[in-house]
Amino acid sequence: MRAYTPKDDVQAKAYYTDRFYVAPQVPKQDVADDAVFAADLEAISAKFEVKESFIQVGQMVVYINANDIYAVLELMRDELEYTQLTEMSAIDWLAKDNTFEIFYQMLSMNKRKRIRIKYFIENGQAVDSVEKLFRSADWSEREMFDMFGIEANNHPFMKRILMPYDWQGNPLLKTYPLEGDEFAAWYEVDKIYGKEARDIIGPELRDTARVDRYDSNRFARLGFEVPKGTEITDDMEKTVQSYQEDGGVFLITKLDKESSKVIDDPQR
Amino acid sequence: MAQIKNRLTPFFENITFDRDDNELVLNFGPQHPSAHGQLRLMLHLQQEQIVKAHPDVGYLHRGMEKMAENMIYNEFMPTTDRMDYIASSSNNYGFALAVEKLIGLEVPRRAKVIRMMLLEINRLMSHLFWLATTALDIGAMTVFLYAFREREYLMDIIEGYCGARLTHAAIRIGGVPLDIQDSFLHQLRVFLNKLPENIKDYEDLLDTNRIWLMRMEEVGTISTEMALSWGCSGPMLRASGVAWDLRKEEPYELYDEVEFNVPFSDKGDNFARYRIYMEEMRESAKILYQVIEMYEKCVDNNETALMAHAPKYISAPKLDIMTQNYSLMQHFVLVTQGMRPPVGEVYVATESPKGELGFFINSQGGPYPYRLKLRAPSFWHTGILTDLLPGHYIPDVVSIIGTTNIVFGEVDR
Amino acid sequence: MAQHKVNYTQDGGLPVALTSIDKIVNWGRSNSLWALTYGLACCGIEMMASGASRFDFDRYGTIFRASPRQADVMIVAGTLTKKHAEFIKRLYDQMTEPRWVISMGSCANTGGMFNTYATVQGCDRIIPVDLYLPGCAPRPETLQYGVMLLQQKIRANKAGNAQKAKRLM
Repeated sequence: MRAYTPKDDVQAKAYYTDRFYVAPQVPKQDVADDAVFAADLEAISAKFEVKESFIQVGQMVVYINANDIYAVLELMRDELEYTQLTEMSAIDWLAKDNTFEIFYQMLSMNKRKRIRIKYFIENGQAVDSVEKLFRSADWSEREMFDMFGIEANNHPFMKRILMPYDWQGNPLLKTYPLEGDEFAAWYEVDKIYGKEARDIIGPELRDTARVDRYDSNRFARLGFEVPKGTEITDDMEKTVQSYQEDGGVFLITKLDKESSKVIDDPQR
Repeated sequence: MAQIKNRLTPFFENITFDRDDNELVLNFGPQHPSAHGQLRLMLHLQQEQIVKAHPDVGYLHRGMEKMAENMIYNEFMPTTDRMDYIASSSNNYGFALAVEKLIGLEVPRRAKVIRMMLLEINRLMSHLFWLATTALDIGAMTVFLYAFREREYLMDIIEGYCGARLTHAAIRIGGVPLDIQDSFLHQLRVFLNKLPENIKDYEDLLDTNRIWLMRMEEVGTISTEMALSWGCSGPMLRASGVAWDLRKEEPYELYDEVEFNVPFSDKGDNFARYRIYMEEMRESAKILYQVIEMYEKCVDNNETALMAHAPKYISAPKLDIMTQNYSLMQHFVLVTQGMRPPVGEVYVATESPKGELGFFINSQGGPYPYRLKLRAPSFWHTGILTDLLPGHYIPDVVSIIGTTNIVFGEVDR
Repeated sequence: MAQHKVNYTQDGGLPVALTSIDKIVNWGRSNSLWALTYGLACCGIEMMASGASRFDFDRYGTIFRASPRQADVMIVAGTLTKKHAEFIKRLYDQMTEPRWVISMGSCANTGGMFNTYATVQGCDRIIPVDLYLPGCAPRPETLQYGVMLLQQKIRANKAGNAQKAKRLM
């Protein structure tokens, strides 16, 4: 029997982890250490529930409830001067506890501070779109939908953005393999030539180590090119580069390597 | 050759016959002669004026974020090269800085100086490329050939340094692997001495050119609110009145030790962006002169370390690896298994030539990042076309796409 | 060490006997190869650089044309993604015969470093390719040498109307 490989996270894994290895943490500081962040956190927690907050690598991270996101971002944009939504996306924790973690990276130019707002949602739950507040969320939420399958309510155009419109599957989920499932593997062949052409064209060749130096029908060694079918031994001779045929071409100057000059001054 | 039988039906979506309102849907397809890559713009036109624009991206989506979840940090470095492939060291640097902040590494001074040199050379390369392609789109082919000539000199310099013209991978996590060679500084100085007169050549050709002015002034005006709302950054934001440059506001590397100005404008149209790019080229040259001096001071002070000393995360220098046994063992483990940063999250933004390039890394202590999000400025600069294009005419589309400086390796990742 | 020359076109089993009409037509075709601007990603930048001031493409008679109807050779420079695969087939169909395809760079040859769900593993899954150029990105000299090899290949073929269909992989 082959060993059971869990399918809830098919990304590459480290082949060895020390049994007693405890990973260090990036240090977190308390919000009270920074006056600006403390004031911002007070303004947010006065109206909304803040589950957790800390400062990490100079940026404050605030965990809120999923329902409050529109109001929190409105508060931050209008009162706390966080005028740019730099980025928003999701992190897939389905394997751990069937949730996604959504984060919004905000920037305040007047205060020169960055804040990350985060919350957790269940698998299948939709988020509120903040596109009315920040137009950059329009495309960010479409990308999140495309890559994770998380929909945004009240979004003007909730369609795929990076993958084709008729793609099936959400690529950035941990259950989606890097090389794509069967739908992905045959997508272009099916679309252009139809399913019948799958046998004619053949499967994708994804083996990164498939170069065979002794196969002269399908591979050529640079500098040692030989006609197809020649047997390759270990003591081949270098081939000579020819730019035109031997007899030369009418009206075209034939390159003569001996009489050509090598220029080595780049500023010529 | 006989047609291979296929299932593609002819597209007639650019001519729809059942509309009463005279609207034409024009498909600015994924392949078009403008040199910017794979943008598909679906334009609804009323006579020649655009009523609605819908940019469709994703034609260069290669799955870099997913690749990062399956590759160790050092292995992912050359992939970041292919994001903004015109100034690739700036992507490398952004990623390296993000991982260094996650780990808490301190990079030696000489490496910082070399990195700054690479970054500013990349900024010059990117702006020259921008000028060449925008001028080519508008029709000024002379500027295209001249700017590419300057760019070739810069690519020669970088090729002498790291061996690659376009996709460098010259910056590693923890520093730089290579020291600059003897001819680097000399060639760079010769280039910088000639640069002001070359920029003046381009400005003489373009600045007071009636055609250029007609196509660039008052076209593509982005208001400050639109720029802030769409998450614009870099020259797009600076042209709309917000003087925000990450090199000055959140200085990284040694940008707080060099003197330079940040050009900005409050007009927000194409011409403002064009002027900002030209001025930024001059500022980069200024920075490079100062950085060359800093490098020579490093050489005088005998600071030779090029990579940070953190044996848990960074391999030792090659000399040590070849002679000391423990360095070799540690290097082997780091290359096969990968470095394991601490558990945590970081978002680091740097000022790439296009805007704010950010890397969000969520690490769970393993050798592969748990989630890596690449924040590319061109993604939102392409999105802003939805709001920006209506009201303009078809020729303006080309000049607007030109000045927004979109690179599709970044947009689609 | 003696160096031997490889005559690619001879030993590929292609027809050898060419009439003088063939020779003239092929001479004309090979020395005015109009290329379709098909820069998809980073290799597109190198293709532009090879058409710019230092490595001029115009000396081969190659002009970059944007419309497939006016182009002879399609230089696929850059990563072909599955979303784009449909369009490369459309453009290839729109090119008029005789037409050739140069696949430039690792991504167009075999998918390159992008062993992912969204990358077509080589543009020869969709369109038949005549010449493969290795590199990431190949230098402009590589592209120009590739064009010269393609010219040799054109001159060695008969100038008749039908090109032999190549197998897709």
